[in-house]
Amino acid sequence: MTATMTPPKTAPAALRLSRRRRATRSLAVTGTLAVTVAALFVLTMMVGSFRLSPTEVIASVLHLRDDPSVDFVVRGLRLPTAASALTAGLALGASGTIFQQLLRNPLASPDLVGIANGAGLAAVLGIVVLGVGGLAVSGLALGGAFAAGLLMYLLAWRDGVSGYRFILIGVGVAAFFDGIVGYVLTKAQLFEARQAMHWLTGSVGQASTSELRLLAVALVVLLPAALLLQRPLRTLELGDDAARALGTRTELSRAGLIATAVVLVALAVAVTGPIAFVALVAGPIANRLLGPATGGILAAAFVGAALLLTADLVAVHLMPTPLPTGVVTGAVGAPYLLWLLATTNRQGAGG
Amino acid sequence: MTRLRAEGLTLGYDGRTVVPDLDVTVLDRKVTAIVGANACGKSTLLRGLARLLPPKRGAVYLDGRSLADLSTLDVAKVLGLLPQTPVAPDGISVADLVSRGRYPHQGWFRRWTERDHDAVARALDATGTADLVDRPIRELSGGQRQRVWVAMALAQDTDLLLLDEPTTFLDINHQVELLRLLRALNAESGKTIVAVLHDLNLACRFCDHIVAMADGAIVAEGPPTEVVTAALVEKVFGMACLVVPDPVAGTPMVVPA
Repeated sequence: MTATMTPPKTAPAALRLSRRRRATRSLAVTGTLAVTVAALFVLTMMVGSFRLSPTEVIASVLHLRDDPSVDFVVRGLRLPTAASALTAGLALGASGTIFQQLLRNPLASPDLVGIANGAGLAAVLGIVVLGVGGLAVSGLALGGAFAAGLLMYLLAWRDGVSGYRFILIGVGVAAFFDGIVGYVLTKAQLFEARQAMHWLTGSVGQASTSELRLLAVALVVLLPAALLLQRPLRTLELGDDAARALGTRTELSRAGLIATAVVLVALAVAVTGPIAFVALVAGPIANRLLGPATGGILAAAFVGAALLLTADLVAVHLMPTPLPTGVVTGAVGAPYLLWLLATTNRQGAGG
Repeated sequence: MTRLRAEGLTLGYDGRTVVPDLDVTVLDRKVTAIVGANACGKSTLLRGLARLLPPKRGAVYLDGRSLADLSTLDVAKVLGLLPQTPVAPDGISVADLVSRGRYPHQGWFRRWTERDHDAVARALDATGTADLVDRPIRELSGGQRQRVWVAMALAQDTDLLLLDEPTTFLDINHQVELLRLLRALNAESGKTIVAVLHDLNLACRFCDHIVAMADGAIVAEGPPTEVVTAALVEKVFGMACLVVPDPVAGTPMVVPA
């Protein structure tokens, strides 16, 4: 069989070939991403002032060996951060691509439509006004994200979800929340203001074990749910009329997808604080890799995890001074966003 | 025997009623065209029949049961619709899009079966899009794209097929091609087809039954020769014309006066 053979002209054969090609591509890309994420996960725990080998890290994580000093470094110090980056990255990647596919707009990321800002406001209010810390702040962030999601739903969804209108409403909501956050910070004591700012910048290093466990459990439940909901998503992509004509219960499916995406991003923000641009960028990168098999939620989740793990590596080890992860993702994400806006308008596909 | 009919159907959007109290019976195994001036309620009626628009009053009956009592999925297995402006997600290929027509026949966990494969292959063959299988939709011409959408509706393998203005953005050769395809589908598999059409001449040429609407009501319905007269065109479209037999097919042909 030569590579220059002409494609089969009969429909059944051409169809089979097309489907097989797409399935292979999807499997290959998702598999490679999974391996990459695993490698980055281990790498993240290998580097630092106390360098470790991969086998030591893996053995310690899986409780295969008992080496107290290695275990302390790995399980005590590095695993929580790595696990944060992994779980939050998965959640942000999946959530971002769900939003983008549902709203048919690459700008429709939970970052940009106020959900993370709602979480931020709730967290800041908790730190400054209520004087709480730790798990309570995360809980408030969760509540804030939900409230923001609900607000967006009420303001935007009723009147249609595609086009710039939704983005504009989201930007408005985000600005509104940010304004209040700014005001609250000016009224705060220095110590609390610093704590709040620290939380707002977003970093994978600030999570506690209980928050992490919650996110991990949520992922175990919600990622499979998202994968199941990918089925009706495929029809919703074609427009509400076509989706209903194909037998999809559009309002129910959309609500399910939105709820899943909001819970995922809310938990991620609760664990790491708002980390910019991972949710925005993961989906498009995954789609570029997937080619014709575009739209895979699992692939986007892995890309999110890979991005966050890489950003953490860069932020902590490759910068002159260790930075919060959010700074690195922002530095990379902002140019991407500008590029996206520029090319979208050029193609005439801008909403 | 009629499978799809409406009784006392009242349809509208928000506070506005577009179709008041309408009765219509869709002739089984025939090709029906709904015609009328812009904003006369043709698309609204079609959407009501397809369960996209819930009736304000009255009901649509499919196989004797009200559409409101049936689940969206059950309806989708029997009744297919090609909407007016379908949206194609970025980068999707022809094969991928047509395959989505199999959605109502696949369960949550049941994946691609031989039946699905055959239905999609047949749909691709029938619409002549087999050689476009791997092409992304956005690269295709308007005519090709419309054929692919029809292929998706065909892959759904329904007994009834409704099409909302399927020929509107096509050039004349593609319009004729599409209508010939619908005619062939009806002849070969007895599909009941209802299409909202703008071109009166093509409607007469390719359809068995014409439903002419004005202001949300049916003004006339019947075979083209009976329905399409100069008087009707004057009434529905407000245009003076001459109706002569088409030189090729003998069906009524409207010539503006």
